[in-house]
Amino acid sequence: MIQLTNVSKIYPNGARALVDVNLKIGKGDFVFLVGPSGAGKSTLIRLLYREESPTRGQVQINSKNLVRMKEREVPYLRRNIGVIFQDFKLLPNKTVFENVAFALEVIGVVKREVRSRTRATLELVGLASKETSYPHELSGGEQQRVCVARAIINNPALLVADEPTGNLDPDTAWDIMDLLYNINKRGTTIVMATHAKSIVNKMQKRVIAIENGKVARDEEKGGYGYDT
Amino acid sequence: MTLNSSRYILRETVNSMKRNPWLSIASVITVMVSLVILGFSIFFLANASNMAESFESELEIATFVQDNATSSQVDALRNQILEMPGVASVTLVTKEEALQDFGKTLGGTQSNLLADLGGRNPFPDKLTVKATDPQNVVALAEVVAALPEVDKVRYGQGFVDQLLKFTQWLRWIGFGVVAAFSVAAIVLISINVKMNVFSRRREIQIMKLVGASNGFIRWPFLIEGLALGLVGGAMAAGIVGMGYNSIAMYVLSKLTFLPVVQNAVLFRQVTFGLLLSGMAMGALGSAISLQKFLRA
Repeated sequence: MIQLTNVSKIYPNGARALVDVNLKIGKGDFVFLVGPSGAGKSTLIRLLYREESPTRGQVQINSKNLVRMKEREVPYLRRNIGVIFQDFKLLPNKTVFENVAFALEVIGVVKREVRSRTRATLELVGLASKETSYPHELSGGEQQRVCVARAIINNPALLVADEPTGNLDPDTAWDIMDLLYNINKRGTTIVMATHAKSIVNKMQKRVIAIENGKVARDEEKGGYGYDT
Repeated sequence: MTLNSSRYILRETVNSMKRNPWLSIASVITVMVSLVILGFSIFFLANASNMAESFESELEIATFVQDNATSSQVDALRNQILEMPGVASVTLVTKEEALQDFGKTLGGTQSNLLADLGGRNPFPDKLTVKATDPQNVVALAEVVAALPEVDKVRYGQGFVDQLLKFTQWLRWIGFGVVAAFSVAAIVLISINVKMNVFSRRREIQIMKLVGASNGFIRWPFLIEGLALGLVGGAMAAGIVGMGYNSIAMYVLSKLTFLPVVQNAVLFRQVTFGLLLSGMAMGALGSAISLQKFLRA
């Protein structure tokens, strides 16, 4: 599903975020990206939803080439990719319902369908009772659920997450991981960059370690592998 | 564009105008001022060239005959000029008639006038030549001036030249002022749009993230610029229309000899032009601030 071929990313300031990375991720996989801060995990994630393009090499998702992709095709790629952030990126002046519905409204889905799909998705992430609340009235875990709901409402084939549990306490983090686990069970490919050692160790999923912009380790049912 | 999207876009346009009301008002006013100047300039120039034309069509060549010419020579000269191509009419004002006319303007004692002037009539015989085409006046005047019995000729070319020169100047000044104000208006609209883009940057970031097309993201801002320009243009059209009408009325009632342009077609063209220019300014302003932020 995802294929990176000889991917390098050098920023204008000369920082070499990724160096000659080759990677294949299959459909329905659950992959952890681990490694020290600044090793290139976030850059790799951003390449996947074409927030950035590599300096060299090719990125392919579902056999679509993201490097050669035209600017006006990018929105249609993104409709098939959900993105989750550490800081949630919710709109503070919109309710939970509006925040999630927003993802459908802006791609032109009709009103009735927006309503029913938003309800169903909020049900799925366990926030049906909070749909009229504003983000500041929610706990961190609840806010992250809203972010997940917004990311999956279009039934994306791929869900990428950049430290989704970074701002959450351990219990809440596990709630979110349960949610992601269930989403993955339904067939969605998940790529998640994280520093959460216990989660990585316990989930026993594929682990790709990135160090100094290179793939240092890639193992099925791996562990976190760093002492922190 | 679905109905659903249009509703969203319209709502966002109104919202963003509410967000910066003062900047919106400033943008509208600058557009308005620049277009009011443009509108009045157009009407002024239309009138100036109309005036130049009507004076041109009344152009006559005053031909002054040599003082020593006899009356039969003057008659012969008159016939000679009348037979030239491009001459419409020739009227003779004899020196006696000229003296009488002069006496009339002084009033009263014309019987003594000749004596008062030392028994010598200072006025020459004058032939007033009208050309069939005002374009020919200059050439015709030169030919007539070259005739041996003719002392000198005088015609209104100097005045028309000056009027045309003046309108040329005015055109440049008007153009400069309108250009300066247009640039200001476009800059203000682009600042306006940019501020709205900035205040909605989170929303835009998420819109791009969930796959909203660039067109969809751009529309509200583009429409906002267009709307600001259109409102400014409409106000300018109203001010210019009503202002010109009342000025024209005043001039027609007070200065009846002045030819005032009252052309319904020109009126409609100017109104339409001002609305269109306003929208163009708005679109340009928006485009300037939108071209950057949607690229990444």
